[in-house]
Amino acid sequence: MSMANISGATPSAASLNSETRIPLIQTRGLSKSFGGVQALSDVSVELYPGEVLGLLGHNGAGKSTLIKMLSGAYTSDSGQILIGGQEVALGSPRAAQQLGIETIYQNLALADNLDVPANIFLGRELLRGGVLDEDTMEFEARQVLERLKVRVPDLKKPVFNLSGGQRQCIAISRAIYFKARILIMDEPTAALGPQETAQVNELIGSLRAEGVGIFLISHDLHDVFDLADRITVMKNGRVVGSALTSQISQDEVLEMIIAGKLPPTRVGQPG
Amino acid sequence: MQQVNSAAARPASVPLLTRLGLDARLVFMILAILGIWVAFHLLTGNIFLTARNLWNLSVQTASVGVMVSGMVLIIVMRNIDLSIGSVLGFTGMSMAVLGTVVFPQNTWWAALLTLAIGLALGALVGVIQGTWIASLGVPSFIVTLGGLLIFRGGAWLLTGGQTVAPLSDTFQILGGGLGGSIGGPWSWAVGGALTVLIVLAELRNYQQRARRGLPNRPVGLQLLITGATALTIFGFVTVMNSYDDPRTNLPRGIPVPVLIMLVVTAFMMWLVRATRFGRYVFAYGGNPEAARLAGINTKRLTIMVFALMGMLAALAGAIQTARLNAGTNSTGTLAELSVIAAAVIGGTSLSGGSGSIPGAFLGAVLMASLINGMLLLDLPSAWQNVVQGLVLMLAVSLDVVVQRRRSK
Amino acid sequence: MKRLGKLMTAVLGLSMLTAPALAQKPVVVGVSWSNFQEERWKTDEAAIKAQLAKLGATYLSADAQSSNEKQLSDIESLVTRGATVLIVLAQDSEAILPAIAKAKADGIPVVSYDRLIEDPSAFYLSFDNKEVGRLQAKMVLAAKPRGNYAFIKGGPTDPNAQLLYDGQLEVLAAAIKSGAIKNVGNQFTEGWKPEVAQTNMEQILTANENKIDAVVASNDGTAGGAVAALASVGLAGKVPVSGQDADKAALNRIARGQQTGTVWKDSRALGSEAAKIAVQLAGGAKLASVAGSSTFNGGPKKVTVNSILLKPVVITKSNLGVLIAAKWATKAEICKGVTGTAVAACK
Repeated sequence: MSMANISGATPSAASLNSETRIPLIQTRGLSKSFGGVQALSDVSVELYPGEVLGLLGHNGAGKSTLIKMLSGAYTSDSGQILIGGQEVALGSPRAAQQLGIETIYQNLALADNLDVPANIFLGRELLRGGVLDEDTMEFEARQVLERLKVRVPDLKKPVFNLSGGQRQCIAISRAIYFKARILIMDEPTAALGPQETAQVNELIGSLRAEGVGIFLISHDLHDVFDLADRITVMKNGRVVGSALTSQISQDEVLEMIIAGKLPPTRVGQPG
Repeated sequence: MQQVNSAAARPASVPLLTRLGLDARLVFMILAILGIWVAFHLLTGNIFLTARNLWNLSVQTASVGVMVSGMVLIIVMRNIDLSIGSVLGFTGMSMAVLGTVVFPQNTWWAALLTLAIGLALGALVGVIQGTWIASLGVPSFIVTLGGLLIFRGGAWLLTGGQTVAPLSDTFQILGGGLGGSIGGPWSWAVGGALTVLIVLAELRNYQQRARRGLPNRPVGLQLLITGATALTIFGFVTVMNSYDDPRTNLPRGIPVPVLIMLVVTAFMMWLVRATRFGRYVFAYGGNPEAARLAGINTKRLTIMVFALMGMLAALAGAIQTARLNAGTNSTGTLAELSVIAAAVIGGTSLSGGSGSIPGAFLGAVLMASLINGMLLLDLPSAWQNVVQGLVLMLAVSLDVVVQRRRSK
Repeated sequence: MKRLGKLMTAVLGLSMLTAPALAQKPVVVGVSWSNFQEERWKTDEAAIKAQLAKLGATYLSADAQSSNEKQLSDIESLVTRGATVLIVLAQDSEAILPAIAKAKADGIPVVSYDRLIEDPSAFYLSFDNKEVGRLQAKMVLAAKPRGNYAFIKGGPTDPNAQLLYDGQLEVLAAAIKSGAIKNVGNQFTEGWKPEVAQTNMEQILTANENKIDAVVASNDGTAGGAVAALASVGLAGKVPVSGQDADKAALNRIARGQQTGTVWKDSRALGSEAAKIAVQLAGGAKLASVAGSSTFNGGPKKVTVNSILLKPVVITKSNLGVLIAAKWATKAEICKGVTGTAVAACK
């Protein structure tokens, strides 16, 4: 239980008083194996409102398996997922969406030939008398983009006119419009230049202010330290440990990723 | 409109049109058609732009004009339908047999029943091909190439190659022959009603957007566009009413097949702009993966689009059969190529995701104008083919150049 | 059928072995069709088979499905299967020549059926297409000796279309020269498609402000298109229109007075004639000694070949009964919608 010492007792940045706050989402002892290969074993993580949790680890550390479980693509062999303290079953991506979990895909799941409102409402168009209510959709799209401080020159133009950063922001705004409380972002800035990355990072800041919880998966340690309130490191399907970014150095995290154990300085140390 | 994404071509060179919210391609096509018309008028010694020839031209456009909007949706969804010429022939032949053998009565119900069964047959053919494509994942090129052979053979087998004629006078109305137009008063009524509808719709749209603080076109420009639309309708009805029926010397009015083509085109534009179905077709064309992730049932969508295409091919089959007053096994041969050409000239990209119904309609008008004019000039058919081929290549090349410049 | 043919050859072969006294070699006629998907060749085939049965010869066949290449291998395989004489409906009159040369080397005589093969070793049997054109022009000329003539020609890639047009002009040459007749429009009809003929006719009517006095259409399908175009300006039945093939739809138009007449090429006569010639040739007859044979050199390369050209029959309102008697079409098919007693055959 030495790990639990750190991960369990670490307060979220949003609330120093974590004992009284209920996590947005929490897993308890999730395990999953694929044909004898143990992809996840006994994974427990939690995410608080307004918190950005950086998930770190090598390829095959179990990050994607965990993410796919949270987004409803995989089911676990054992363990629980709790949302707002209630145990839930995430049988499908649809079910996960309905519970407020949205995944932002790395390959920008936008239809490039459609305009901004059409993309934000794709698959969930607003109707009025059976036909598309373009004006309301445009209006609502404008509202949500303004609220999240996303700047797009012309909403009615196809999104292929926009930069990669703007498009990523639209994908995120879309999730937020549909009341996502938990966002899973898989390498959201991997394909973006520095300016566009800044744009997305700014949006993540807005989301945090709105109380949205974010799982951030990234290879870029620097980025994670900029954005995440807390990091959780995984290796070989297990959680190595978690720590507030303000209380751990990048070198220490790197060591966790490589060695798969807590830095000696931290073992047994209360959070 | 989002679907005409190639429309806003090169903002640097056509800033005016983009700023005015006009579709550069459509404007260009209209100018091209008008240019061709004037040129033919001069070359033919003032025959081309007579009411009679324009009336003919409109009827000659009808068959391709009915089908091309369906083809736009097919191509936008990254598919192709090579079978429509054969489906046209097969359903046309079926309706000819139905209309001469099963329901030979010269009554409305007999004609409508014949038409309804024909349309159902076309839709069924589309559903089968669409299911094959969507469920088995066989490329549409292959499935519909098979369909091309199967239904051409089917048209032959229905009567063993015999021509079936004549059809009832009521059914012939669909073809726009001597009794196949709606007459002067009704034409004015249709034109008037349409104008009122357009004005009301634009007014409502304008008010709604203004109320929500959404950007609108400048009032003056909007008035200009609405005025031009009304004037076009007025001109169209006037022309259609200036060609007399030789038996009565009364105006013929709008031919029924042309009315069908216009209704189909308007319906398809509405489908694309105002319904989820149309939105999903374009979303799928733009990014199939995104459409699937958004929870769109892409298989059902594919099947529906092919069913719609089959039904439109059957409608064109009804028009052709009624117009010729005979079902023949060669009807519609190579029609798929005319339809694909019209769609492509109208700005539909074969790589999917972009295309425009009004553009394709204008493409059909352009191609029909070329054939019509060259026939008036008594140009040999070999030259007609050469010219059509060149125009197709020119139109698409122009598009490619514009696209490339824009992406730079 | 193929199987049966093989079986019969085998049986005949066997009977030869067992009865060496039988000196005469059995006649096996191999027929190579260019494209059996067309309705009319079924009629021809039936006639060939019936005549061969009468003459005691065997029938073999192959369908090239519109492919030049397949027709070449078809002919080789017909010979392999034991054909002693060939009847060839050429897909392409040029591409077929190597196969004809090979047959000649094997000593197998060839009848070129309906379509000309320009090789002196092949016997040409057809209807006289130029004569068809002449007959078309004559029937229209009889109905309207002066005025503006429109010509709805056949498919531009079909050599027959040009032959027909040549025949038509031959008849009308004098009247055109004297100015009595004016050629105001002539268009080929892509693929012989009726809908193309209709559009062409509409444009000829428009270009001449309806001042068309007669239409020389090259077959019944294109005539149907021309009549539909005339109907839409109220001229159907007022302007004479010719045709060819005696389509049932066209016969009905003739009975109803919308088409002047058609030229009937009885393919049954052609089929049985081909069978007779084939059996004669297989029996060792020289090409020139075939009964009724003459020479023909009207092809594009002017090669002289031995030939029999059957005379087509003109069908108009007055002799529609001929076709009923010949069981070509029924009275019901021809007379549908005809009222009154103006048409003798429909009384």
